[in-house]
Amino acid sequence: MLAYIIRRIAHLVPVLFVLTVSVFVFVEMLPGNIVDTLIGTEGNDDPEIRKALEQEYGLDQPVHIRYAKWLGRVVQGDFGISLVTRRPVTLELMTGIPATVYLAAVGIGVSMLIAVPLGTIAAVRRNTPVDYTAQVTSLAGISIPEFWFAILCVLLFSLYLGWLPSSGYVSPFVDLKASLTYLILPAVAIGFRQAAFTTRLTRSSMLDEMNKEYVDTARSLGFRERKVIFKYTLRNAMIPTLTISGLQLANLLGGTVVLETIFAWPGIGRAIYEAILQRDYPLVQAGVLVLGVIVVVTNLLVDLAYRLLNPRVALA
Amino acid sequence: MSDHAGDNGRRLTRREILAASTALAVSGAVGIPSSAGAAKRHPKRGGTLRFGTRDDSVGLDTHRNFIYFVSHPLAGMTGGLLDFDGEMEPVPAVASEWDASQDMKTWTFKLRKGLEFHNGETIDAAAVKWNYERILDPKIGHSFTRSALSDVERITVDDKHTVRIHLKSPSAAFDTNVVYYPVNLLAPGAVDKVDTHPMGCGPFKFKSWKRNDTTELVRFENFWGTDAEGNSLPYLDALIGKPRKEDRVRLTALRTGEVDLIDNIAYADVDNFIKENGANYNTWEVPQVGTAFVAFNLKNGPFSHKDNKDAHMLRTAAAHAIDHEGIHQAVFHGQGQIAKGFYSKSSPWHGESIKSWPQYDPDKARSMLKKANGGDAKLLIIANDSFPYMQQTGELVHAMLQEAGFNVVFEIHPTPVIQDKYNKGAFDIDSSANSYRIDPDGWYGRSILSTAPETKRRHGYVNEKVDQLILAAKVERDKKKRRQMYADVDSLVNHDLPLIYTHFVPLRQAGTKKVHGYHPAFTGPFQYAGGGLRTAWMEG
Repeated sequence: MLAYIIRRIAHLVPVLFVLTVSVFVFVEMLPGNIVDTLIGTEGNDDPEIRKALEQEYGLDQPVHIRYAKWLGRVVQGDFGISLVTRRPVTLELMTGIPATVYLAAVGIGVSMLIAVPLGTIAAVRRNTPVDYTAQVTSLAGISIPEFWFAILCVLLFSLYLGWLPSSGYVSPFVDLKASLTYLILPAVAIGFRQAAFTTRLTRSSMLDEMNKEYVDTARSLGFRERKVIFKYTLRNAMIPTLTISGLQLANLLGGTVVLETIFAWPGIGRAIYEAILQRDYPLVQAGVLVLGVIVVVTNLLVDLAYRLLNPRVALA
Repeated sequence: MSDHAGDNGRRLTRREILAASTALAVSGAVGIPSSAGAAKRHPKRGGTLRFGTRDDSVGLDTHRNFIYFVSHPLAGMTGGLLDFDGEMEPVPAVASEWDASQDMKTWTFKLRKGLEFHNGETIDAAAVKWNYERILDPKIGHSFTRSALSDVERITVDDKHTVRIHLKSPSAAFDTNVVYYPVNLLAPGAVDKVDTHPMGCGPFKFKSWKRNDTTELVRFENFWGTDAEGNSLPYLDALIGKPRKEDRVRLTALRTGEVDLIDNIAYADVDNFIKENGANYNTWEVPQVGTAFVAFNLKNGPFSHKDNKDAHMLRTAAAHAIDHEGIHQAVFHGQGQIAKGFYSKSSPWHGESIKSWPQYDPDKARSMLKKANGGDAKLLIIANDSFPYMQQTGELVHAMLQEAGFNVVFEIHPTPVIQDKYNKGAFDIDSSANSYRIDPDGWYGRSILSTAPETKRRHGYVNEKVDQLILAAKVERDKKKRRQMYADVDSLVNHDLPLIYTHFVPLRQAGTKKVHGYHPAFTGPFQYAGGGLRTAWMEG
């Protein structure tokens, strides 16, 4: 197991190298740069000023030199300074990443809380009203755009019922209770949408498993149906669900920009998006790099979880 | 008496401003609902105002970063040599008096004694010099802030409380450039922490900033401003900025009680909000925060005389195709006014006798387009993605030009791409806007004068007579004469059509009934002499 983990972590290096090179090249290909942003709309077209600014931000050097210098600093744990805020990039990341991870993780948790019971019940009570309800609910979740569902939640729970705040963020380390009240709506908006996919997946995985011989054997040995479903069938059916949830979590880490905007959630998705618009290269690079690490580590954890669910799964 | 400012955004008179600062009889002007109740309402010291804004600062160094005075909470921290009053006249602030030499090339400012920055450091002439030199450093000063000082040749310190600014060329407008916006003063002794904990000299002190989350400012107890009774300003204990980028998210935050004041309601929501919630909220109209226009690329392409002998005819055809009333209704939902010059009626620089751009006449547009050389050229309209009205105006103009037979495409881009297109002349029409130039030279001298870098970079308009008028106006002391000169420039612009003014950009703010003593000015909501958040106070 340990050797497997070390090997997987070692695989991170080439993945992240390719990732950073790609991001560096893509950002370089975008029209305009930080100097254009700084020069702004006042049209100070003095070539001397442009040259001075390019020197100040290191843009007078070829891209491969800039990349090598950046990589050299990153290896030493230095992400540099944001070109826009002039604050350490680490500080910017430490503001956005915990907020995003918190939201995404709880969102996926909500999704699992909805999807696993619903998918399981739908499979066990196949072709009954419960199954139909589960299928219609998940179809609605897939069909309704996330932002629209989020707005509906805000209108209902914040504006009309006044139960929850409509937008904002409080760190759980500052005030856990307040933090949870701010978290509920965005987490439910994420969870509902993601649950729509995982409910269907859980249902079909459960149906597959329930048709296997070991389930018949368990039943013929006289095990109670609850034990057959929850102890044997569900554990095996959870593997694809867990895989998809891991991928969903990874996807959410960089992809909640719309929800972050609706709920004024100060996450990393919005920060990276703004950094791209402002051509704040160090922040874009570091943000993508750190998210890349989180995604790879999340996938590793998902793989390890297979083993916990089913010890027969070989980690090779 | 109306619940929603009731004055349709008219500017306050000096007398009203005085009254506002005492907050004794200001219910009509500032949106306090009941005149009977207002008599009892004396400004209360204390309270925290939570301000939901469209935007957040991108950094804390107010020299390096542009601080947008409508929607960056950090604006409450800034102070400058001079202030504006509610009528946009420069009035004393850090400087108590100022004067220009006969040739208007040297401006002398006498500073008040005993003023401090937020860190307790004395505001003296050396500190002002340090600030201005820092802003003028192209590696530091933001282009917008730096451009306000672009006439400065050098700064000298006469004595501890007298600073002299020597200009490269005469300017009658220089004093309006050294107001807190954008030329604000930072404490030199705290510059090493300016990116994490800036120290200004405005009414509020910096406390904390979490990007895209909260900006916390607290009252600066030693702020020099007082109300008419001699009570120190501001009244509020604290100001918390809460950026909410989306218009409806911001409005919802106001309605759910998460913020006390918001900086803008979407134009489409204004009428409904007032109709349905007017009894519970105050609204204020900021009459003009900018002027929208569509500019043509005169440097190259079918609208340029260099490439097309019928360029003016083609621009005139485009002007005839544009329905200003349609833009007024569809983009601004009937808010604000159609623009025929740069300044609206709410500005003291509004010109009365401006000759209009060509009237909407699609048949004439079609007929001119057929006759004009280059009428079949493929045209590109661009718009910046920052403000919805720019994009929506661009979309409408696109549709109107297509209707008239132009072969045109429309693209929306972020600022760096737009800049790149300006630099390369890779566009034909630009849906844009300009704002916050209090003195007209800030617009005409930077964006219409043919030798101005911005003019050369963006549309490349050249008209000798226009240049003469702008340069003469810059050194004219008589305000009436200056106003007429700029009106004449707008008439020529409307004839030559390097750009077509489309609309004055209004802003409708809203707040709970707990907010008192607040009225936004043309110069923005945060602060001006006798108003804005300096005189705001909270009830309950």
